[in-house]
Amino acid sequence: MSRVVNVEEEVRQLVADILEVEPHTINPDAKLVEDLGMDSMMALEIVASIEKKYKIKLPEQELRNVTTLNRVIDTTRDYVH
Amino acid sequence: MSRPSTASSTPPETMSTEVGLPLQLDFEQIKRIIPQRFPFLMLDRVIELEPGVRVVGLKNLTGNEWFYQGHFPTRAITPGAMICEAVAQTGIVFFHYTRSAQARDDVTYLMGSIKMRFLEPVRPGEQLRLEVTPVTVMSDAAMLTALVTVEGRVVAKGEFALSAKSHAP
Repeated sequence: MSRVVNVEEEVRQLVADILEVEPHTINPDAKLVEDLGMDSMMALEIVASIEKKYKIKLPEQELRNVTTLNRVIDTTRDYVH
Repeated sequence: MSRPSTASSTPPETMSTEVGLPLQLDFEQIKRIIPQRFPFLMLDRVIELEPGVRVVGLKNLTGNEWFYQGHFPTRAITPGAMICEAVAQTGIVFFHYTRSAQARDDVTYLMGSIKMRFLEPVRPGEQLRLEVTPVTVMSDAAMLTALVTVEGRVVAKGEFALSAKSHAP
């Protein structure tokens, strides 16, 4: 299985764990704050979890991309080589 | 570590000669950083302080702590919530010295995303050693790890987020 597919599945699982929802229930374009109840600390936790999982460092401005699952996945892909 | 005799009102502290930052904090110095007071001040000393790297604090638990009255009346055990509070206050010290100086004033700290495991009961007469290290640090928030030990035994560990909310308009 390619790494690209893994990132999508892994980030979906990671976000679902933090938001305490089932992974398959997350619409990739749903707004994490408005639709799924994410708060600022959960957003920080998502960033920290991605950094830890992929051993990468995301610049602080990428926190602004934690808005939808798709944007989180795209941002992660940008930094995972 | 020996402390110099001094008549100054400024508490003696061990200073880093290279950057001028304290390496340890006593109770009065901690109170200048942490807004909590009795009965919620859960940090007595900071014995290691490396901004951006780690902070190690100590909390001595006596049988006189207010929470032992009810937790529990015939068998005193330190509430996990109070251990979390001690960890959070150690995190505040970490954040205070890790953030840029201009952003330190007039802030309230909020703890969240707490994932702590409590491995052993902690009783009166024991000393908590609270070690906080960073996972991710941003300008107004941090994800931190905590390792709490008593005489070398791990009694609690986990991760938490700390967010600084400025009161400035």
